[in-house]
Amino acid sequence: MVDLTSLWDVVLVVGLVLAIAPWFGSYLGRVYLNRPAFGDVLLSPLEQATYRLLGTSPRRSMRPREYMVALLLVNGGVFLFLYLYFFFQNALPLDATGVPGMSWDLALHSAASFTTNTDFTHFTNESQISMGAEVIAWQLALFLSAATGLSVAAAMIRGFIRKDGTLGNCYVDLVRTMTRILLPLSILFALVLVLLGVPETFTNYVTAHPLTGGIQWIYLGPVASFQSISLLGTNGGGWYSANAASPLANPSAISNLFLVGVMMLIPFSTPFAFSQIIRRKSESWPFIGTIVIIFAIALGLFIFYQAATNPGLASVSGLGVSTNGYPVGQETRFSLPEASLFQVVSVYANVGANNMAIGSISPIGQMVLLFGMFTQSTPGGEGTGFATLLLFAVLAIFIAGLMVGRTPEYLGKKIETSHVKWAALALLIHPAIILVPFSVGVLWGDPGISATTLAASAHNFTSVLYELTSEAANNGSALSTASFNDTTPFWNVTGALVMLLGRFVPIWAMLQVGGLFASESEKPPGPGTLRTASATFTIYLTMILIIISALLFLPVLALGPLAQIL
Amino acid sequence: MSAVAPPVSGGPTPAPSPSRREPAPAHTTGQHVRATVVLLVLTLFVSGFAYPLVVTGIAQVIDPNAADGSLLHYNGTVVGSSLIAQNTDAPYLFWERPSLSDYNTTLGMITPYGPTDPALAEWFNETLAYLREYGNFTVNATLPIWFVSPSGSSIDPDLTPGAVLVQVPRVASATNLSYDFLTNFINAHTTDPPIPGLGVSYVDVLQLDLDLLPLIGRG
Repeated sequence: MVDLTSLWDVVLVVGLVLAIAPWFGSYLGRVYLNRPAFGDVLLSPLEQATYRLLGTSPRRSMRPREYMVALLLVNGGVFLFLYLYFFFQNALPLDATGVPGMSWDLALHSAASFTTNTDFTHFTNESQISMGAEVIAWQLALFLSAATGLSVAAAMIRGFIRKDGTLGNCYVDLVRTMTRILLPLSILFALVLVLLGVPETFTNYVTAHPLTGGIQWIYLGPVASFQSISLLGTNGGGWYSANAASPLANPSAISNLFLVGVMMLIPFSTPFAFSQIIRRKSESWPFIGTIVIIFAIALGLFIFYQAATNPGLASVSGLGVSTNGYPVGQETRFSLPEASLFQVVSVYANVGANNMAIGSISPIGQMVLLFGMFTQSTPGGEGTGFATLLLFAVLAIFIAGLMVGRTPEYLGKKIETSHVKWAALALLIHPAIILVPFSVGVLWGDPGISATTLAASAHNFTSVLYELTSEAANNGSALSTASFNDTTPFWNVTGALVMLLGRFVPIWAMLQVGGLFASESEKPPGPGTLRTASATFTIYLTMILIIISALLFLPVLALGPLAQIL
Repeated sequence: MSAVAPPVSGGPTPAPSPSRREPAPAHTTGQHVRATVVLLVLTLFVSGFAYPLVVTGIAQVIDPNAADGSLLHYNGTVVGSSLIAQNTDAPYLFWERPSLSDYNTTLGMITPYGPTDPALAEWFNETLAYLREYGNFTVNATLPIWFVSPSGSSIDPDLTPGAVLVQVPRVASATNLSYDFLTNFINAHTTDPPIPGLGVSYVDVLQLDLDLLPLIGRG
């Protein structure tokens, strides 16, 4: 049975983050309202100088189309830089291990992956990417993709408090996200990680001479600083290919819990940033409520099924009993609830880091993780997770309005067909870019996985489904299987397209919805207005999320993880 | 329409008035390109150079040992890192958890077996057979599950105390150290959670072996 001794620290960490979240969320809100905030003395002059260099100013607020153009330019620049760096990494600095340049398709997949905050890697970090490519190229995307997500959320939320159709200045949002949130926190968290034992050096590797002879390469680098921004920015890329399972990246139970807090901080605070910006404190509760309900159910299921007996080991005799039915791919130093907490937070906050081998966990555990990527919003990735939840809310309020026959409105702004069309586009592109490439890939008969191999076991089916879901949700966690080679040109190119569509189509829809709200003037609430800051609406929103995701994905779940336990 | 545009602030506009504000002019293409290029260059300087260099500089002062990878020295050479496992497959040493990459860090994370994959049970049976053949365990001893299952990182340096204690008969016969001595030795190397439930009890096998070497006159 489950060893529950360790549940207290799981509850403690989640409780601490939830206690900090309202305070930190209101700080985030002040940052995006350009209000006086902590650090102005030092940072304001710096920001003003930056705006002058950029040739822009906070007063030049952008409409959705212009905001999107600016975002695409910046992200396009990141993408191009990463692509070229990876392709030519052997000729660029800090390549002490002499790794070759990436092939065109691998560079494409990697550049798309990092630009879109996915950080799904189709390579082995230790032998296929140089230290320079990680620090100079990849790390640029760690910062800017996180800043992109938060800026989009801020812009969309501003729609509720504006009437001139504009959403704010994209460049200003990106700069302030860097100076006020990402840089100070990632420096602080990186130093804590060093104190917890994580390496931070520009020595690429050390040659060790093990006790029984031979040679062991110990790969090092600025691991703490990389890991800090990677998890804070819900990127999820690891310095090591074993990510946070590697003892060098996550040395102890304490570092594990600390990293959980780092991952949770911004996604769990964003609902409070929302209520700060719209100046209605109570409106954050349906969102944080929905997030906590779904997250708690997921974590509970995950822990319970990890502790259950694995039928796959029933035929093995001579093994001692264990409270962990799935010890393969788990690390000794974390208790089962602690390891599970990291993994569920990581996938539900769309970080995608792993502290275990996801491919070896219980089938129900795999399904729990898949569900988090289907909803993408409990709490979801940096900024975009909350923006997705807002789209779900728009849809839910519209449906409620249809049921009682009233014009639906939210925060004094009418929700009309055009809002719902954009919301539906953002929510429906997700299953489309998972299921269509899945079918095409299988019918195509790509050498990565043949139809026969796919049909041979439910686990193989699950791994292809997991791969595409992870890419579509910009998550980045992987359920690797030896029988699925995802590094063929077909899966590299498909993956890159899925990630780019899964990132920028919903962002476009979020900005459009924000722009529509920003063009309406606010009306006072009437007697028929749906009260959104209520327990009823919280439960209603939770149910809508579960039902929509279940309707879309139940058939594939039945063929994958559910078939595995039958 | 008023021709003078008041400054657009980020904050909510005051009470609705019939006269609409003139929004600030949109950026021209040239202005967008300039802003993008400058933003990318500045961010690249900060994220790729200033940030890692500043953190490394401070890290090398506050905890140089951790910053350099917690390296272990023995007789003047680097024998490994206290954080990662290595091959200790000798009769006189305590063994680490099995590694799918044979502790080769260059290979990174190895694709593990699916939870209900028949190959998983096969792998367990083969590993158990190997361990039983060379492990010299007490007859009929069941082997702790952590001692047989591979880790996610392939370089997990820790084992549960039970999984180390089960190796005592083999190490005792290879080193002529007594059962009691080795048992106490292992207990002394067991790290318990600082507060019950914060992590688990474990033994750092590499450290255990390093401390064992001088006692048996090897190294």
